[in-house]
Amino acid sequence: MEHRLANTWWMTVNEKKFIETTLLSDLRIDGRRPFDYRRLTIKFGRDDGSSEVQLGQTHVMAFVTSQLVQPYRDRPNEGTVSIYTEFSPMADPSFEAGRPGESSVELGRIIDRGLRESRAVDMESLCVIAGKLVWAIRIDLHILDNAGNLVDAANIAALTALSTFRRPECTLGGEDGQEVIIHPPEVREPHPLIIHHLPIAVTFGFFGDENIMVIDPTHKEESVMRGRMIVTLNTNGDVCAIQKAGGVGVMQSVIMQCLRIASVKAADMTSKIKNAVESYNTERALRKIKRHSSSAALDVNKPDVKLENQNQSVDQKEIGDLSGHHVERLKLISEERGVSHSNSMEGLRQSPEQDKTTRDVNSKGADFDVVETSLALHGALIPNTKLEESRREKPSEADPGQLLADLEPAPSPDGAVETGEQTNGKKTLVDAVKPKHKRRKKKSSNIDAS
Amino acid sequence: MEAKPSNSPKSFIDQSVAPGDVVLDLSSMANQTIKLGGGLRQDCDSISVMKSGKLRFVKPNKYWVESSQKRYVPCVGDNVLGIVVDSKADNFLVDIKGPALAFLPVLAFEGGTRRNIPKFEMGTLLYVRVVKANTGMNPELSCTDATGKAAEYGPLKDSYMFESSTGLARLLLSSPTCPVLEALGKKLSFEIAIGLNGRVWVHADSPSSVILVSNAIMNSESLSEVQQKIMVDKLLQRVQ
Repeated sequence: MEHRLANTWWMTVNEKKFIETTLLSDLRIDGRRPFDYRRLTIKFGRDDGSSEVQLGQTHVMAFVTSQLVQPYRDRPNEGTVSIYTEFSPMADPSFEAGRPGESSVELGRIIDRGLRESRAVDMESLCVIAGKLVWAIRIDLHILDNAGNLVDAANIAALTALSTFRRPECTLGGEDGQEVIIHPPEVREPHPLIIHHLPIAVTFGFFGDENIMVIDPTHKEESVMRGRMIVTLNTNGDVCAIQKAGGVGVMQSVIMQCLRIASVKAADMTSKIKNAVESYNTERALRKIKRHSSSAALDVNKPDVKLENQNQSVDQKEIGDLSGHHVERLKLISEERGVSHSNSMEGLRQSPEQDKTTRDVNSKGADFDVVETSLALHGALIPNTKLEESRREKPSEADPGQLLADLEPAPSPDGAVETGEQTNGKKTLVDAVKPKHKRRKKKSSNIDAS
Repeated sequence: MEAKPSNSPKSFIDQSVAPGDVVLDLSSMANQTIKLGGGLRQDCDSISVMKSGKLRFVKPNKYWVESSQKRYVPCVGDNVLGIVVDSKADNFLVDIKGPALAFLPVLAFEGGTRRNIPKFEMGTLLYVRVVKANTGMNPELSCTDATGKAAEYGPLKDSYMFESSTGLARLLLSSPTCPVLEALGKKLSFEIAIGLNGRVWVHADSPSSVILVSNAIMNSESLSEVQQKIMVDKLLQRVQ
């Protein structure tokens, strides 16, 4: 018991009194005014749909992934959005690994309510086959550092991740029009989600008896405050959700005042989020343009190439993962067909591009035998690409001077994930990595075999 | 890192060292007695580093490695700021940011007897001295100095306390006076109590001065002297 006492964070009587008295004169301990937010930083990861938000010292990451699932019976043509929170013990000494605590559940519920009740994300566009297959969007929130006001930061992270997430395009095909083919990002551009509006959460902390309130309380202010209210609203003036769980009672006029202040703050926050998402999208578009440049340009832009390769390959892996789990099991045959279908498509598409890039995508498990015979490389560090079937047809493509891809045995039975390595033959990276030579030999042996 | 069994220890003094570096070669210093402080270890004839930080030397013969952390390792003789967590029959349980709670005997006050035991509520801030600090045991504290007088130890009332790293606390306590404190002291009057465990208590007449001083100090750990002065000037200008 004593050991646990030693690791918790204690608040002194001095600090409590000080925070309360300075608030009477509209001062906060970090020098902010009562209705100022801390500095907001929004960063994006390389994948679509991953974001990292810092609000002062509070640090939250969000990841959005999608899966094809069966819809709920009472909503056969709507997709679903679900939120999972993880309060890492490194964020706060009171967070414990494992079972989610009360605050973790509350945070998840607030964000979920803000998105679901206000219908911020269009669910009907997530339907693929009514009654059978819909997209289930999953938002994972990881709390990395708790310096107060987790709800606002996590909400912003979730919104930015949703705004930059792209789900793969899928078409109905096959013989009876009931099979779903999921297209990898190189074949068809993945779609962003349709988001009607951004519900922004604004947290108010109430202190003392005289209706003193602040926005965006820090960790210390949170331990001193006597009540808390979280208002979720958007720039159109709609109030999406209000959460006030216990705490000191507030007058109705105070609540109305809070709503007014929150709408101003929400407008500000929305514009920041939109700017960040726009800059991410333009950067992403720029990266795509480089994809079709000549090989000479690729030599020069090697780091950029690696970046986009990784981007592509990670997308690929994502799609492989998500499609592998569900669609494979549901419609394995169709995938094989779809694979051969897309392969032949790619084979045709390949030819004009052979000179430029050999990074072609093979969506499903047609390369099982190649996969099984090749070695694993450095795993996560290496950008993942897929060896094209057509590359086997054209062994000359495997020469240095072109981009090479090496294979890794697919860990999962769906075989959807094939990983490889890309290097530019002229650079020293080829020399630096020994197993490459083995792989080349094996590949050539496969090429010979096939 | 290259281990230079250097014959001139001066090459490593005030330099950043990493665990494993050999900083002294004793075979070259035959008739000297050297005192080793924290972070150093003797392996036959060489002194190697165990903890990363900066190697420090004080004449005539003391060497140690200094680093800045958020956690505090209790050491005998340190003056720290503790928070009362609980009170038992014989001791107060005090948190000093170390691995274990420390005991403050109920009688360890000037003129302390069983009849006038002070009453500290939970969350009282105390300025105390570490009397015993053995690994694995709870440290022991005292509110008197070695001779038994009160000498500034005891509860700190009102005002504001913040936490920082041990390095910053040592910087603030160094002599000559830390540039931040000097620059702030020229314009503001305030009282400050610094604990070697990283806790700092600041008291001033107006809350805005307290906030200014505490924020200035919190930002100053990684800044150089000149930068600290510039930062303080900017903060003061904004307020006035």
